[in-house]
Amino acid sequence: MSCRPVIIGCSALPVGRHQTPSNAEVHVVEHELLARLVVEAMADSGAERERVGAIVVAQPRPYTRQQYFSTFMTSYLRIPCDGIVMEVLGNGLTGALAFDKALDEVALGRTEVALALGINMETAISARDHMMESMRKTGDVDFHAPAGFTPISWYALDMQRYMFEYGVSRSEVASVAVKNRGHAAHNPLAQFRKPITLEEVLAQRSIVEPLGLYEVPPRGDGAACVVIASEQYARRRGLSYVIIRSRAFHHEGVHQIGDVPADMIGFTAAATAAAAGFEAAGLGPDAVDLAELYAPCTIVEVLASEAAGFFPKGLGAHAAATGMTSLGGKIPIGTSGGLTSRGHPSYATPLYSVVELFDQLRGRAGPRQVDSARIGFLMNELGNYNAALVHVLEAAK
Amino acid sequence: MTMPLVKLSHSRRYPPRATEFTRVFWDALAEGRFLVTRCRGCQRHSFPPKPICPHCWTDVIDWEEITTEGRIYSWTRVHAGPAIFEEDLPYAIGIVDLDCGIRVACPFIGDAAWQCGMAVEMVSVIYADGPFFGARQKGGSHNSYMV
Repeated sequence: MSCRPVIIGCSALPVGRHQTPSNAEVHVVEHELLARLVVEAMADSGAERERVGAIVVAQPRPYTRQQYFSTFMTSYLRIPCDGIVMEVLGNGLTGALAFDKALDEVALGRTEVALALGINMETAISARDHMMESMRKTGDVDFHAPAGFTPISWYALDMQRYMFEYGVSRSEVASVAVKNRGHAAHNPLAQFRKPITLEEVLAQRSIVEPLGLYEVPPRGDGAACVVIASEQYARRRGLSYVIIRSRAFHHEGVHQIGDVPADMIGFTAAATAAAAGFEAAGLGPDAVDLAELYAPCTIVEVLASEAAGFFPKGLGAHAAATGMTSLGGKIPIGTSGGLTSRGHPSYATPLYSVVELFDQLRGRAGPRQVDSARIGFLMNELGNYNAALVHVLEAAK
Repeated sequence: MTMPLVKLSHSRRYPPRATEFTRVFWDALAEGRFLVTRCRGCQRHSFPPKPICPHCWTDVIDWEEITTEGRIYSWTRVHAGPAIFEEDLPYAIGIVDLDCGIRVACPFIGDAAWQCGMAVEMVSVIYADGPFFGARQKGGSHNSYMV
């Protein structure tokens, strides 16, 4: 297992509004933010700079002015590489793909140290203009986009169906937002940290019925860098690390909607990938100490928690409403604050989840630390877009 | 089997592109007929229509007109949408499972109290610049005329 990849360090920017409007006199630019994070993450890891041989960058939003960002950053920080220098893109999985590909570079023996990084800047673009682009990412651009579907409208469809099939109330699902905010209060990287009540969540203006403002993801800018190394290198250098115990992926071959009736809220791809990830890790959902799920909306966290096997179908919302997914509960989910409160700088979001699990499994998560956290479950899945990527992480002894 | 035509005076907000292949669908839609593709080999339907069967990858494809009544699988009303849809806000969209076994996602036409399981029928919405398909409450007569 000489090439077994492990996580050795990370750094992330607090999620928030960082992007400056195009007419600003003084700008915040993406490469200055990211370069600092790379230096911090490397210092956090204790790895030697000259051992970095692969850089995998989550492709930035089109609103990021600098393009060809991976070779640009490689030049900006003068890092010659023999493994790979590349950008990756895969819907909401983008940051997770950067992580996954960096793991591969180490596992294949192409480098001893690899960087997975990403920056997502979009808040200077209004939501209505941003949706002109994101609407083209839903379903078939000629047969669905003309109807006015937006990415989160699909999650609203999931929500309506979930309430209908299982007789669950909106407020039970909405309790996820309250729980996440409570977690975010203890996370300095989180975009929204002031506690909220269920009444406040339910009173927000409607965005996509029945989901209101606090039940859908806020828009945010963010950036993160994760340092991967071979276990052999980490041991040789005496570094602390987190193990990748297993990895699994599934896509059903259906993009958002098939042409025959099927269960949309079973999140089959996520269920398949989660089961495969658990099997490869040799453990089950009961062994997980905490989970970070890619869940842009409250309902997505509920459905993903059921698909992962933490709760039976139809009971995920009740589990959240009764504190089972809160810190101190049976299976804490989104101790970072989740996408609704830590924030959702989309293409970098999965990297933030890696950062959270790394901090938790290293025992350095401060007031939101899960006691004796040993197994972390990372699932980046795309809901009805159907791809699901699972990593089971483990604290090194 | 023709669908009701619902006429709207404005143009489609985001007009679909027709290809040499899919223009058959759009031309039929303008006349109130809903066509899907059907593989001559495996006999399975496809929607949106495809010149290659996704199941067996052959290109021997027939067009077949389908019946257009069904039930709502799910729905939502969009209150925050893309700039180009601003005049329509809020607007309802959803998924319909047709009795013939096809699933369609489309705009919902009219102001019904939409619910999962509700009976609906497909309509051809005739905009100033061309057609698109939608669903409305079964038996509805919102701004429509039969041809």
